[in-house]
Order: sequence, then structure tokens, then C-alpha cells
Amino acid sequence: MGDTLITVIAIVLAAVLMFVFPLMTMSDRTDDISQLSVETATTDFVDDVRTTGKLTMDKYSSFVEQLSATGNSYDVEMQVQVLDENPGKKTTQAEATKIGENVYYTMYTSQIMDAINPSSGQTKTLALKEGDMFSTSVKNTNSTLSQQLKNFFYSVTGNDTYTIAAEHAGIVTANGAGN
Amino acid sequence: MKIQSLAVIFIIIMLPISLVLTAYVQNQVQTINLQTSYDEKLTNATYDALKAFQLNTINSSTSDLANSKLRDINASVNTFFNAIAEHFNLAGYDKDTLQSYVPALVYTMYDGYYIYSPFTNTLDDEDAGTTYTDGEKLYGLKPYIHYSCRYVKGGIDVVITYTLDNCITVEGTINGKGVYKTGYLLDDVNVSGSGTVTYRGTTIEQESLLEQVGFYENGNFTNQPYPYTKKDGAKIYNEGDHSFTMLNGQKINTATNYGTTDSSAIEYYKNAYEFTKWVRDNLRGLTTSDIVDENGAYNTLQEEFGSGVNIFGSQGNINIEDPNSDFNQHRLAVIRYTIEKNLSIAIANYNRYASATSANFQMPELQEDEWEEILNNVSIISFMQGLSIGGKIYNGYSIVTNTKTKEVVNTDAIYIITNDGYYHRATDTDLIGNNNIQDVAYLNIDFERNSVTNGTTTQYFYPHTELRLLYINNKPDNSRCSR
Repeated sequence: MGDTLITVIAIVLAAVLMFVFPLMTMSDRTDDISQLSVETATTDFVDDVRTTGKLTMDKYSSFVEQLSATGNSYDVEMQVQVLDENPGKKTTQAEATKIGENVYYTMYTSQIMDAINPSSGQTKTLALKEGDMFSTSVKNTNSTLSQQLKNFFYSVTGNDTYTIAAEHAGIVTANGAGN
Repeated sequence: MKIQSLAVIFIIIMLPISLVLTAYVQNQVQTINLQTSYDEKLTNATYDALKAFQLNTINSSTSDLANSKLRDINASVNTFFNAIAEHFNLAGYDKDTLQSYVPALVYTMYDGYYIYSPFTNTLDDEDAGTTYTDGEKLYGLKPYIHYSCRYVKGGIDVVITYTLDNCITVEGTINGKGVYKTGYLLDDVNVSGSGTVTYRGTTIEQESLLEQVGFYENGNFTNQPYPYTKKDGAKIYNEGDHSFTMLNGQKINTATNYGTTDSSAIEYYKNAYEFTKWVRDNLRGLTTSDIVDENGAYNTLQEEFGSGVNIFGSQGNINIEDPNSDFNQHRLAVIRYTIEKNLSIAIANYNRYASATSANFQMPELQEDEWEEILNNVSIISFMQGLSIGGKIYNGYSIVTNTKTKEVVNTDAIYIITNDGYYHRATDTDLIGNNNIQDVAYLNIDFERNSVTNGTTTQYFYPHTELRLLYINNKPDNSRCSR
């Protein structure tokens, strides 16, 4: 009887060691790879927008396509800080073109999507200008295999935590309008 | 005991150990990852600040004036904090929180540097009001600090201000007489009786410079090439019988016609020749043993500067402007010492202002190659300390150098033009034996896009869509010394 019990325990342990642990490690690595490609895609996308000053549906779609190629679903948040022409401080000599002296107003994802969504068959471009700031952050919304396994074993991660996340931001260095 | 029992016992013991170890290692990896990502964010934000500074200065015709420069720096600081808030968005930090983790921002300039850090505002009863109160802690740029050093020897008591190149300013008294002189140090310059100037055997000639100028006239934007000369650092364009300058997109006619040929290169070498002679005559015996510190004491700074090195003496084959001359070695040591000293004080003082974090702010040790960048370029150095990154406290810095600037002219910033319409770096090997070289060179910032605005619309233009140049002497801008 004792022998049978210890054999069963040994088999269970062996199963855990030889199957679940490698699976967890492998799924972790998969997430790492996804993380890397998401980071690269995000950086490329943001740098593309800020060096050309233009955001179009084409760019956005190909970015989202790249993200979904990792096999997960993501929540993409974009934000544009538009350099306002009104000076930020009371000053006698503020210039509309001086970067850093003026206030910014912010456009968020839904407003940006409105500005680039093609309407009545016409493609639209969101033109940014020198000194604006563009940022994008990406988080995964589905739970990846490694998250599911961790939830099963440790059950420490909550529902809304993400394991794959990337963010990139920067100042726009070209005027998108007119060129 | 059976082998299965042994195996089970072994696994029961080893499993927790390996789990704990894995967790620990993962924690460490996460800390390093976080540190790398914070480094990257800091560098990106610093780069954005630099980009804003560059765009602002290139589009401004007055950016070399002190108060205009202050404005540009303040705008750049704003951009830095905006950018860093953007970059740390995901980490959940906002602009004001992050500001308390930035002990100092340093803007190194041509002959000194600015430190942006908090200070205590001191006001008397009369000035204190609702806007600013006495004893309030404010963030701002501290007064400009020059790369300078004081020397006392016999009748000489002077402060010499060094710059990123071979220009120096001497002020103080020599044998009871007050002196204030600025100039470049150059060896091997010959000025003949007829006024011909040669430098290292090359005759220096006049240049015919030309560039596109864009401006609004009678409400219309025009953009056309004008010949120009340089006077005290300002470009003066020639239009037939009169000359004009540009100020914030406006044409301003000058009283004198300055003509179309530029002789600032000749003036530069002539002035340098006379100034070097004056320095040799008056400060010849000055050595690093004559350095006194701020209390007037000798020998306290020996560790930094050595002793007995003749700063302005002749060194046989080595010209004073050569990188390995005693003068240049001493100049770099002075620049490094002034930055290091004031910056470490500013960062250490930050502990009195940092209420958000319990971290002890200290200046990190910069690497030699980083110093090399700082000592040869105008740059922005940003520091960020005290953020918790798992296992330890983040302590990072970032150095971004500005190679497109009006502040200082490096060899890399000079472009030489050839007949075939190309421009070449001054160090380009193609130029050796090239018969197409024209006698003109422009600076890299002359190739940047410029903008003018009339209040409602902004127009862009490039100064050099066509090229016409005259010669190849590496000619730093003569006006840089006139602060």
C-alpha cells in the first residue's frame, strides 16, 4: 500500500517536473519573444510618426497587424500632445513657434481614431507639427498561456494585470502638413 | 529505503529551493530590465530636450544673445519634463512627481554651463508678495558658471576663462593695470608687411559667401540667394547698394554697405596672432603652481591640475592649439574640475529639497569617454535618482551632445564645397588632391531648414539649395569670442 502511494506521488511529481515546468518556462519565453516584438513594433511605429509628422490609417493598421502577429490581443493607447499657439505663461515675448514655452493640449486614442478613420471613401491624415509629442502604449488584454499557468499554480495575478507591455514616446521633428 | 522514497524526498527538498532561487533571480532580472528601460527613457527625454533646443535656436536669429539663450534653455527644460512624463506614463509617474527625482539638468555651453536645479528664493519684505514668497523653494536655472581659474604670481592676478576651443578670456590685473582681453591662441601664424596672412604655410584669403534668405516683404514670402559677410557673428547680406541683417524674419537695413566679400577668416588669424603674442609677452611664466582656490590659497588644487606646468609656454614642435599641448591639457582639466565641483555640490544640496524620496542624492561618477564628449561638445546632462526599481534605487544619468549648434564650431561641423556641387566634411579623404575644391566652407547648421513666420503662417526654406564656395581653411567663426 505504502509503495503504491509513494509511486503515485513520484509519478505526480515527475509529471509536474517533466511536463508543467518546461511548459511554464516555454510559455514564459514565448511571452518574452512577444514582448520583444511588441516593443520593436511600438518603437518603429512611434518613430515613423514622429519623424514624418504624419499619422494615417495605413500606418496604424500595419502596426496593429504586427502586434496581432504575436498571437495575443492588445489594447493600443495613443496620445498626441499638440503644441498650442497660445503661450503658456504671461510673458512679453512668447512666440508661437518656440517649443517648450507654450502649453499643450492633448488628443487621446478615440479623437486620433476619428481624425484618421477614412470617411466617405477618403483617406485622412493626421498632420503633426514640430514640437508636438506623440506617445503610444500597448498592453495585452487576453491572458497568455504563461499567465494562465501562473494563475493556476500561484493564483497571485489579478485579472487586469498584463505581462506584455510596451511604450514609446517622443517629440515630433517634422511638419506633417504640406510636405 | 527504496529509491522512490529517496527520489520523493530529494524533490521535496530541492523543489522549494529551486523555486525560491528562481524567484530571486527573476527579481534581479526585473530590476536590471527596469534599470535599462529607465535609462532609455531618460536618454530619450534628454534627446527630446536637445531636439527642442536645436529647433528653437536654428529658427531664431538671436539665439547667441544671453537672454535669448536663457529662454531657449528654459523652453528646453520644459520640454524635458514634458517628455519624461510622456515616457514614464506607463510606469504611473507624472511630471510633478518626476521633477522631484531629477536633482539637476546641466547645459554645457561654449565657455561655461547652466545648472537647472531647485533653489530657495530669498526676498525682502518689499518684494515678497502673493506670487513669490520669501524662503520658497523654486526650480530654475542657476547663474551661469564659467570654465575659469584664478592665477596669482608676482604682479599678475588674473582669472582666465577657458572655452571648448582655443579661445580664452583674461581678466584681472597685471602689474597694477586692469586687463580684460579675449582672443584665440594660435601658433604658426604669419602676418606679412603687406597684410598677407598665412597659417601653417597656407595663405588665408577672402571668401564669397552666398545663401538663401527667406522673409516676408509687403505680405509676400520671398526666398532668394544673397551674398553675405560676417560681422561680430551676425550675417550681413548685401543687396546691390546696401546691406541688411535679418532679425526674427524681418529685413533690417544697415547704415553701412559691408560689401559682398567676407574677410572674417583673415581677421580671425590676425587677431589670434596679436592675442597669442600678448599672452606670451604678459603671461609667459604662468604655471599650474600659480593657481589659487576661491579662498586665495595655493596648492589646494594640485591633485587636479598638477604643478609647475607652463601653461602658455612654447613647446617646440607642438603648437599651442594642438590637442596634446600643455595649454589644451590644462584647459580640459579646468573645464572638468569646474563642472565636477559645482555639479556635485548642486546634487548633494538636492537632499535638502527632495521631500518625495528618502534617497541620498549623489553625483554618479562619469566615465572617461563621457567626459571626452562633455569637454568637446555643447551638451545636455540629465540626472535622475531615487526611483525604486525593485531590488535597488535607480541612479542614472544621460549625456546627449549637440552637434548642430551655433555655440561652438568643431572640425566635423565644417563642410567644404567642391565645383561639382557636393559638400564634404573637412576631414574627408576625398579632398586630398581634389582639384575641384572651391575656396568656401559652410557650417553644418547652415544646411538646416530655417523657418520664418508672419504671425499666421510659417514658411520654411533651406539656406543652401545651391552651393558656391571659395576655400578650404578650417576656419572657426571669428565672432565666438565676443560674448
